[in-house]
Parts: sequence; structure tokens; C-alpha cells
Amino acid sequence: MSATDQVFGALADPTRRALLSTIARHPSTATELAGGLPISRQAVVKHLGALTDAGLLERERAGREVRYRVTPAPLSDAVSWMAHVGAQWDDRLAALERSFGGRSLSA
Amino acid sequence: MTDQIERELLLPVPPQQVWEVITVPGFLDEEVELELEPGGDARFGGGKTGWVEEVVPGERLAFWWSTDGEPASRVELTLEQEADGYTRLRVVEARPLEVLDVTGIPLAGSGGVQHGPAMLAGVA
Repeated sequence: MSATDQVFGALADPTRRALLSTIARHPSTATELAGGLPISRQAVVKHLGALTDAGLLERERAGREVRYRVTPAPLSDAVSWMAHVGAQWDDRLAALERSFGGRSLSA
Repeated sequence: MTDQIERELLLPVPPQQVWEVITVPGFLDEEVELELEPGGDARFGGGKTGWVEEVVPGERLAFWWSTDGEPASRVELTLEQEADGYTRLRVVEARPLEVLDVTGIPLAGSGGVQHGPAMLAGVA
């Protein structure tokens, strides 16, 4: 199975998407995550394993537990995408504004 | 998790006038070819290609675009009539993670953006 298939497979499940979204905001342990979900800690660990195998999460020791965080590479990719694409829209809107003489409401 | 950019601009002309400018070459890109109907092809400069998702003339244009090999993103341009003949232009460009990973698979031959419901998986 290719890396892309693995990522796609990992994200095909809504529970795993929800877990990834939660962890993207706050790195968490399986116990913390299970506390907020109607599934067992064991099931959470299994989902986290799939996300980790797909390269979306990485593990770090947190005392006797393991804390999961989103791997830095996709996040820095997101930041650079938003900076790049955001700058392009700023340019397009500035040109449009000049042609019509409008004013920008948000930067 | 979605990467998203939002912008707003107030323009002192009616929506139809803004619509005529944002759908022709010069605004989105120097080169723009848009088939203004759902599922229509979209071509831009620099090898950027895509497809049109929704068209409401003078009100809304939603399309997907991608440069060869890069993840596709969805652009939604909305025009709202304001008082005194002004138009509020709202821009949202989003790159949903689920879609990002679907389109990370190189598409045989086309090198463009994949059409159809698979693209929309997970887009709320």
C-alpha cells in the first residue's frame, strides 16, 4: 500500500478525522481523547495507530503515557500554503480595488 | 482540518459589474478560460487547471483549481448587493485535508484536477 493510500485510508474514517482535528488543536494522550468520545480507550489507541502509521501523527513520551501530536511537516505545509495563496488574493483584490476604487474590509 | 483563506472587499459598483470583471482574464489570472456551468472546465495560466462547481451569475462562482502536482483547492466568490450601489465581494479559498490527500494521488494523463464526487468527499 502506498503512502498516499495509507493516508487516504486513515482519513476515510470519521472518528479518525475527528481525532486528528482534536489533536491538531491540542496534542493529547489516548486517555484524554477517550474521555471525550463514546468509544473505549482501546479503540482510540487503534485509531491513533492507523493515523501514526500514515505519518499524520507522531508519538512522544508523557510520563507513563504517550502523547500524540500532528506531524510538523503537514502543518508547516499548511502555513506556507496559506501565506502564499493569501498573498495572491491580497494582490488580486488590491488590483480590483484600484480598478473600481473600493476599500478592503479585512486583511 | 481545513486550510482556509477568507477575504472581503467592498466595491462601489453593482454586483453584475463586478461579476463581469472577476470571470474574465485579469482578475483570477492573466489567462482565464471558464466554462460557466457546473462541471465546466477551467483553465488558467501557468498550467493551472480545474473545474466549475457552481455558477449563479452575478452572485456566486465556486470552482476548483490546481497546478500540476499540487493539491487542489476550492475557491468560492460571493457577491452581495449592498446599499448605495455597492457590492461586497467575499473570497474563500479552502484546501480541505481530505481532498488534499485524495488529489495527492497523481492522476494518469491529465495532470489536472479530478472531476466528480470523489473530490467532494468530506467537504462540509
